[in-house]
Amino acid sequence: MASLTTVSAAADVVIDIGGFPIGLSTDDPAFVEMLKERYAGFVTSGTHAQIEFDVVLAPADSMLGNGDVRVEREAGQWSMGRGDFEADWNPGAARGVIRQSANPYSLNSVLRIVHTLLLAEQGGFLVHASSAVRNGRAFLFAGVSGAGKTTMARLAPPDATLLTDEISYVSRQEDGYHAYGTPFAGDLGRLGENMRAPLAALYLLTKGTENKVEPVSASEASRALLENILCFAQDSEVVRSIFEAACDFVCRVPIRRLTFAPDARVWEMIS
Amino acid sequence: MSEKCYVARSSKIAARMMGDEMMIMLAPESTLFTLNEVASVIFKAADGATPLDEIVAERVCSEFDVEFEAALKDAEHMVKELAGHGVLIVSDKPTTQSRAFAQVAR
Amino acid sequence: MSHLVAEMSAKALKLGIPLSVQLDLTYRCNERCVHCYLDHEDHGEMTTSEIKDLLDQLAEAGVFFLTLSGGEILMRRDFFEIVEYARMRAFCVKLKTNAVLIREKEAKRLRDLDVESIQISIYSHRPEVHDAITKMPGSLRRSINAIRFLRSKGLHVTIANVLMLQNLQDYPGVRALGAELGVEVTIDPTITPKMDGDRSLLDLNIDQAALEHVFREEGMLENVGESCAPPVGPDDEVLNSLPCSAGHTACYVSPYGDVYPCVQFPLPSGNVRRDKFLDIWRHSPQLNEVRSITTRDLTGCSHCSNVSSCTRCPGLAYMEGNMRGPSTQDCEKSFARTGIQSVNLKSKRSSVAGLVQIQNVAAISQAVSA
Repeated sequence: MASLTTVSAAADVVIDIGGFPIGLSTDDPAFVEMLKERYAGFVTSGTHAQIEFDVVLAPADSMLGNGDVRVEREAGQWSMGRGDFEADWNPGAARGVIRQSANPYSLNSVLRIVHTLLLAEQGGFLVHASSAVRNGRAFLFAGVSGAGKTTMARLAPPDATLLTDEISYVSRQEDGYHAYGTPFAGDLGRLGENMRAPLAALYLLTKGTENKVEPVSASEASRALLENILCFAQDSEVVRSIFEAACDFVCRVPIRRLTFAPDARVWEMIS
Repeated sequence: MSEKCYVARSSKIAARMMGDEMMIMLAPESTLFTLNEVASVIFKAADGATPLDEIVAERVCSEFDVEFEAALKDAEHMVKELAGHGVLIVSDKPTTQSRAFAQVAR
Repeated sequence: MSHLVAEMSAKALKLGIPLSVQLDLTYRCNERCVHCYLDHEDHGEMTTSEIKDLLDQLAEAGVFFLTLSGGEILMRRDFFEIVEYARMRAFCVKLKTNAVLIREKEAKRLRDLDVESIQISIYSHRPEVHDAITKMPGSLRRSINAIRFLRSKGLHVTIANVLMLQNLQDYPGVRALGAELGVEVTIDPTITPKMDGDRSLLDLNIDQAALEHVFREEGMLENVGESCAPPVGPDDEVLNSLPCSAGHTACYVSPYGDVYPCVQFPLPSGNVRRDKFLDIWRHSPQLNEVRSITTRDLTGCSHCSNVSSCTRCPGLAYMEGNMRGPSTQDCEKSFARTGIQSVNLKSKRSSVAGLVQIQNVAAISQAVSA
C-alpha cells in the first residue's frame, strides 16, 4: 500500500452524483462488483474523485440494528453512524472511512448523508421527491412515503426522462437551481438518468379524485418543503444552511399543489 | 452397542438451525422437536455413512469438553429416542438415501 | 407442542430471524373468485432458477416455515420441481391451493415429498354457491375429490372458508363437510382489498350482525370464553407488545420478487431480483420502519379498551391509509367479539351518525342460487 504522502491508488469505484464524484476502495471484489451494478450509470472510471472513502467490511451479522442516524462534526471532522454503519470524513484531507457489512443499503445511506452535507455548503439539498425532465426542464413532485412520488414517475409520458422516483437532488448554481438524476430509487426500482436540468417547478403532491394544480402561499410552501427535505445532521451550521436554502428556493422556484387522481392525464398539466 | 451403528436423517423431516439449536418438524404428525448444540452436531453428521462412534469421537469430543464414553452413551440415548419418533433411521450397515433429502442448510 | 412453537417464535424474534415466509409462486389462477385481491396477468414471474436461488437464500437466512401460495400454485409447470427443491433444503412446506388440479397422482407425489400441510379453499358445501364464487363450474366437486385423495395418502389437510355475503348461510354446511372428510375447517370473515388499492371488494364483507353471530356461535372458536370476554384495558405489557409477526419473524415474497411484510401488507420493502434477501430483511428501511412500531405508537388503538384482544392487522390498516392507524375491519370484529366499541369505531360512527344500513341477507343468497 502506498505511503500516506504519495498519491494513493485509484479508487475501486467512483460514483458521481450531482457532479461530486466519490471514490470507494475496498478489499472485497464482490462488493465492488455489486456497487458497479447497483450504481450503473453513475459509475465513472478514471475520474479523480473529490472524496476518497475506504470501505472496511465487517461480518454480515455484526452490524445490525436501525434507529436514528447520528451525524456530528467535531473540530472539522464529520462522524456519522447508525446500527448498521459507522463513517468518518475529513473534509480537509478529502478522505474518510466507512465501516459496514457487505450490504448495499448502508452505503446508500452514507452517500445520502455525504451529499446532503456537500449540497448544504452551496445552498442545495436533497428532498423526498420524484423528478423528471421534460422539454429540457426539471419538475419535482414532493411528498412523504405513499403520497404518490412513484406513481407520478410511473405515469410519466415517453418524452419525460426520469431523474429519480424517491430522492431529488437540488443543486444551486449561478443561474439558478438545477435538478440532477440520482441512483436513489424507491418503489420504482429503477435508477434515474445521470443528467441535470434547470428546475422549472416543484409540486406538492396530494391524492384526490381529480387532477388540478393550485397555488400555495409562501409560508405553506416553505413549511411543506422543509417537511420533505432530508436533513440528517444535528450540526447547527448545516441546519441553518438548509433552512436558508429552503427559503431562498421558495422565493425563486414556483411551488404549487398538485392534486391528482392516479391516471396519466395528470402529466398534461406538467410543462 | 457392540456392532457398528449407522444413523441417517429421515427424509420426512424439515430442519433448520436457529442460533445453536436445531428445529425439526416431522411431517406426518407435525411434531416439533428441538435439539441442543451437541445433539445438533450429531444430527447434522447423521449422513447414514458414518458410524455413530466416529461421529461422537470426531465431532463431539473434539468440539466439546466431554469424555468419549459418556458422550457416546448420551448419543446412543438421543439416537434411540429420535429413531423412535422416526426422525433418525438406525442401521447396522451404511445406508444411502435415494434422494439427497434433508440437506440441512447450516 | 404449541408451547415449543411459541418458544421458537420468541427466540426467532430475539435473533431477528425470518422464521416464516410466504412465497407466492404465481398470480395466475384457474379460478376467478369474486373476492380475490389479485391481478391474474403474468407480468414476468420468477423463473425456476430464480426461485431455487431464492430458496437457497431463504434457507441461509434461517427460514423454516415456507408457505407456497398464489394464484394457483399448480398452474406452474415447475411446481413439483420447486417443492422437491424446497424439501431438499429441509423447509417445512405448507401449501395453499384450490386443489382443483390435484388427483391421485399429484396426491401421491405430495405425500412422497412430505409436505407438512395443505390448505384448500371451500366456500360452500353447495356446488351452486361455491362454483358461483370461484366462477368455475365443477370446482367444488374437484376440490372435494382432491381432499379425499390427499386424506387417503395420510396428508394433513385443512379447509379455509372465507365468509362473504354470498356464502354467509353456508358455513355450518362447510363445517359438516369438513367433519365428514376428517378435515379441520377455519373460518375467515375478512375480505381483503385489492392489492392495487381498489377497495370495492370490501362491499362483499358480511355485516356486523352476521359477524357477531359467527363469533358467538359455540364451537366456532377454540375458546369462546377467552375470545368473547371483555378485554383488559391498555397496560404497559400490551402497549409495548408487537401488533403481529409481519416484518418481525415473517414476511412475504411475490411472484415478481417483491418483498412485503405480509401478503396482506403490500408495503414494497425491496425486491430479491435486485438485492439479496438477507440484506432486504435486515436493512430495508421499510421493514425497519414496520419493526419500530409498537402498540403504543398506534393512533387510537393505544387508548382503546379492546387493544389486548384485538386482532388488528397492520396490513389492513396500511391499505386503509395509515400503518399506524385503525383497521376498521378489525374494529368491527372486536366489537362483534366483545360488544365494546373501539376508540376508532366510536370516532368514525360519530361522524356518520344518522345513517342506517339494513342488509337483507336472505335476498342475496336467493339471488346467488337463482
